[in-house]
Amino acid sequence: MHPAGSAAAGTPRQPSKRRIPVSHLGMADPHQLFDDTSSAQSQGYGAQRGPSGLGYPTASASPQAAFLADPVSNMAMAYGSSLAAQGKELVDKNIDRFIPVTKLKYYFAVDTLYVGKKLGLLFFPYLHQDWEVQYQQDTPVAPRFDVNAPDLYIPAMAFITYVLVAGLALGTQDRFSPDLLGLQASSALAWLTLEVLAILLSLYLITVNTDLTTIDLVAFLGYKYVGMIGGILMGLLFGKIGYYLVLGWCCMSIFVFMIRTLRLKILAEAAAEGVPVRGARNQLRMYLTMAVAAAQPLLMYWLTFHLVR
Amino acid sequence: MIQPQQPYTGQIFQPTQTFSPTAPQPFYGNSFEDEPPLLEELGINFDHIWQKTLTVLHPLKVADGSIMNETDLAGPMVFCLAFGATLLLAGKIQFGYVYGISAIGCLGMFCLLNLMSMTGVSFGCVASVLGYCLLPMILLSSFAVIFSLQGMIGIILTAGIIGWCSFSASKIFISALAMEGQQLLVAYPCALLYGVFALISVF
Repeated sequence: MHPAGSAAAGTPRQPSKRRIPVSHLGMADPHQLFDDTSSAQSQGYGAQRGPSGLGYPTASASPQAAFLADPVSNMAMAYGSSLAAQGKELVDKNIDRFIPVTKLKYYFAVDTLYVGKKLGLLFFPYLHQDWEVQYQQDTPVAPRFDVNAPDLYIPAMAFITYVLVAGLALGTQDRFSPDLLGLQASSALAWLTLEVLAILLSLYLITVNTDLTTIDLVAFLGYKYVGMIGGILMGLLFGKIGYYLVLGWCCMSIFVFMIRTLRLKILAEAAAEGVPVRGARNQLRMYLTMAVAAAQPLLMYWLTFHLVR
Repeated sequence: MIQPQQPYTGQIFQPTQTFSPTAPQPFYGNSFEDEPPLLEELGINFDHIWQKTLTVLHPLKVADGSIMNETDLAGPMVFCLAFGATLLLAGKIQFGYVYGISAIGCLGMFCLLNLMSMTGVSFGCVASVLGYCLLPMILLSSFAVIFSLQGMIGIILTAGIIGWCSFSASKIFISALAMEGQQLLVAYPCALLYGVFALISVF
């Protein structure tokens, strides 16, 4: 016997690894130290391994294939590749549970014209008349086709631009370091999350029947970053006067924008009739709308004043 | 899954090239002369690399949608290394930042493009396009070696090169993914990404 053969295979002793008695294969070299697996007459070898194998093809037993032909590495390879396939399936299946990809795609179905008009609306909402989102068989139309529909492209880009512009502003004041960027980003994100949760809680408490989804809310609350960027850039170019002027203008605009948009979502029945709100329920909803709209300028100031000196 | 191996026809103790665990094409045969040339096996096709580079360098030429069919990361790797090398010439040892920003930027663009387009993209395709369009940025950083970019000329040059990079990148993305009316929307995040690279070159 040759312990070297089993040791080389690295497996516990298996009957298949035992050296085949010479007489069975017709080899006439009793001094051979290793398994002679060089010839095609290794059917005996293969057949002996068959029952213990895992059903993989054992066509040849060349030394190079001995690694792969070894049942344990067969199993390891099969397991590895099936694990990879399973992992991918798992990710694909579960990513939809945490992040509703198809719903998100609706919010990114934008084009350049829409973005241009929406940005104009964010800076000058006073002349726009019709704020109602158009519907098409019960589903709102994509943002491409209606400037009143909320989208997530502008808030996402505005957020990233805000973080970069904040970095730039800090850089001009010689207060820049890369971790400060991360700090700005996470603090802005934290405030956004807090806002969304507070508004969701209030909507729940006031038991309002609205079709305002969470993603819609995130979109609306993200529009204020556009004004913040404008304010910071003006502050960088023209100092505190420029900052206050532009920020004041953007605060007014976002206030009006939010009131007009949320009125249609939260105060749906009253707005549809066009009558002034009466009654306790409508009062509460009106207060909620005012509170949300008033929080926007406050947050805009809070998140930018330390960037402009 | 396990390709049936050729029966061993050589002598024991003599090396021959019969075992190639990653050879997917059986017709490549087992002998040394039949092996494909190294570049072909590695998937580096110089002609394609050159074509893609020309597409980047002519921002006004209409791009062909099919050039991005094979994702090839060899070109982008070379460009990233060249960018780092030109930064090194200017005395800024910032390979880490270059790689970090490229990784985050590619991830961000991958998510955005998957959400914005009808057909999805693969991560390799995004990384490949963004890497190729880094080429004009190498020009900028080589200028930074010779003279400082912090004056008015430097600002104008930087803005021009950022515009060039993002315009080419958005042009290739638009033609490869058949997105109409969204070129500026794709160019803006690319401009943000290349703007960060430019910040590294300038400051």
